[in-house]
Amino acid sequence: MSRPLPSRAALVAAIVRKDLLEFSRDRLWVALTTVALVMFAVVFWLMPDRVDETIRVGVAPASLASVLGQLALEGAEIGLDVVGFESEEALRAAVMGGGEDGPSVQVGLALPDAFVLRVATRQDVVVRVYVGVTVPIEVRGAMTSVARELAFVLSGAAFPVTLEGGDVIVLGEDRAGDQLPLRERVRPLLVFFVLITESLALASLISAEVASRTLSAIVVTPARITDLLTAKGLTGALLAFSQGLLLLLITRSLVGDVPALLVAMLLGSVLVSGIALLTGSSGRDFMGTLFLGVAFLIPLMIPAIALLFPGSASAWVQVLPSYGVLQALVGAASYGRGVVELAPYLVSAAAWAAAVFALGWWALARKVATA
Amino acid sequence: MQQSRDGTGTTPAISVQDVHFSYGSRPAVRGVSFDVARGEVLGFLGPNGAGKSTTIKMLTGQYRPAKGRIELLGEDLATHRSALQGRIGVCFEEKNLYPTLSGVEHLRFFARLHGVRDLDPGALLARVGLETRGRDRVAGYSKGMRQRLMIARALVNDPEVLILDEPSDGLDPVSAQAIRSVIREQAERGCAVLITTHDMWEADALADRVAFIHDGRLYALDTPERLKLAHGTRSARVRVRREDGAVDERVVELDGEDMGRRLAEATVGGELLTIHTDEATLEAVFVQMTGRGLT
Repeated sequence: MSRPLPSRAALVAAIVRKDLLEFSRDRLWVALTTVALVMFAVVFWLMPDRVDETIRVGVAPASLASVLGQLALEGAEIGLDVVGFESEEALRAAVMGGGEDGPSVQVGLALPDAFVLRVATRQDVVVRVYVGVTVPIEVRGAMTSVARELAFVLSGAAFPVTLEGGDVIVLGEDRAGDQLPLRERVRPLLVFFVLITESLALASLISAEVASRTLSAIVVTPARITDLLTAKGLTGALLAFSQGLLLLLITRSLVGDVPALLVAMLLGSVLVSGIALLTGSSGRDFMGTLFLGVAFLIPLMIPAIALLFPGSASAWVQVLPSYGVLQALVGAASYGRGVVELAPYLVSAAAWAAAVFALGWWALARKVATA
Repeated sequence: MQQSRDGTGTTPAISVQDVHFSYGSRPAVRGVSFDVARGEVLGFLGPNGAGKSTTIKMLTGQYRPAKGRIELLGEDLATHRSALQGRIGVCFEEKNLYPTLSGVEHLRFFARLHGVRDLDPGALLARVGLETRGRDRVAGYSKGMRQRLMIARALVNDPEVLILDEPSDGLDPVSAQAIRSVIREQAERGCAVLITTHDMWEADALADRVAFIHDGRLYALDTPERLKLAHGTRSARVRVRREDGAVDERVVELDGEDMGRRLAEATVGGELLTIHTDEATLEAVFVQMTGRGLT
């Protein structure tokens, strides 16, 4: 006699339950997940939590330091910390690292003793600008401008050019004086890494099922392939989302606009689940799956890495599937932006997540059908 | 009770009618037709690549026939797949189990997929001799234990049709016997059983009827006895000690009109030691009909 068929939800729930049980018994992935969580949390707490935008500038002779200091105060966002030195030798030593007791500076301006007089009488002045090897090229250029501006200020002559608005015009969001500390910048990167770790775990589970043909045993029951695929997607998204949430809790990062942050993380979880379906159905064994997974995931990490180095992202990075997710994660967690404000990024993330998940779905469905 | 198409009894539990299937341009099953009644065991015999597994995949709903029709329990498989899959049990050739789950967890999982709420996993495991290992993970099971768990898994829903692909392949005699006992029990309670094997002895011992499949075509379908009688040759081996002490072994064909005379002649000329009759084997019949062996 036939009994009532279980509902689709009951079938999906049964498969998800089994998958989670299998995952919890897989020592390798449980260990990797735990290690990843601990490691990422440690990395997060080790990152500096504030940004020092001040440039320490040394001036010799020391009598001119106050003039330059006054100049720095007039434009506070420049962030110049001026230190005076009695001799050029002491200034050079400070730029080289400062020695045991002496102060260190990043840039040194060695001015002649009669600097003020020579500038005032419009005579030629030679100024030497010293910079440490680690000083970025743009700061080096800025320091030569500072020396020239100093001369102009002292001589009373202004630039014969008027700058509109009195300053440069910044295109995009001006973060001068409000730069994200490295800890803030690394947070979405770490969350994304956790999602990726879980996607590899799911891919490994799927490839093991494909290899052992256990999927066939499921599809000869009342469960359909769609139930199976739905369950796999849910398992992957659940694993990734919960681990990402756990990391946020461990690092006390459930901050900013929490709903937008959770939506972004959920979309990221769906995206990596799609990749897990794709790689899991294609990989023949553990190493093959791992290799494929990493090959797929490296491009997705580029937008995350670009967040660490603002300005380094090319235009093409914006079309990568993970760009929207990462921008939404940063926007929500670091700047407290809401769902509406992040809508363009969330829409892009949702579109990519849907596309990649559909591709993974198709690949696994094909694999099951031909097994 | 429904009448069968030929009017000889009830509707067959399995009815396969002119089924075809191809992998790309390579035909795997070509016009296969057969029925299996409730309570009957049909042995599906053929060498590797003959089309047995493809036929099973069509019967279990994994593959859809390119042509032809399959009915299970009187309903069209193409249109009632999910409902029918809830009434069949399948045991695969490969041991597709989850190594990290225990025997009990396997049975509970598949019971949920079948909507079975009153499963007693202990009782089911006891039927296949695994009652003491139910809590152990499958990774620690021997090959025979895994196969017995596969059989138990196929029974979680009390199936009306049982489809078994090489259920005792490579097993020790004790495990193989345990599995054969379970199969007979299922048939006795009215379950239709389709079993593929290339073990002719097993088919002969277990199956009510056997079907020979080769190169995607069905060559024969009948009881083992009738097939052997119709296509095999019976003989007797007679051992006689001659007066000089040497032992003669004489083979006498038992088919033909003058069988009695030939047998009598073979026993004269010395002291009769033994007479052994040799019945034709299914394998010999298969070879005769298809021109090739089963392996």
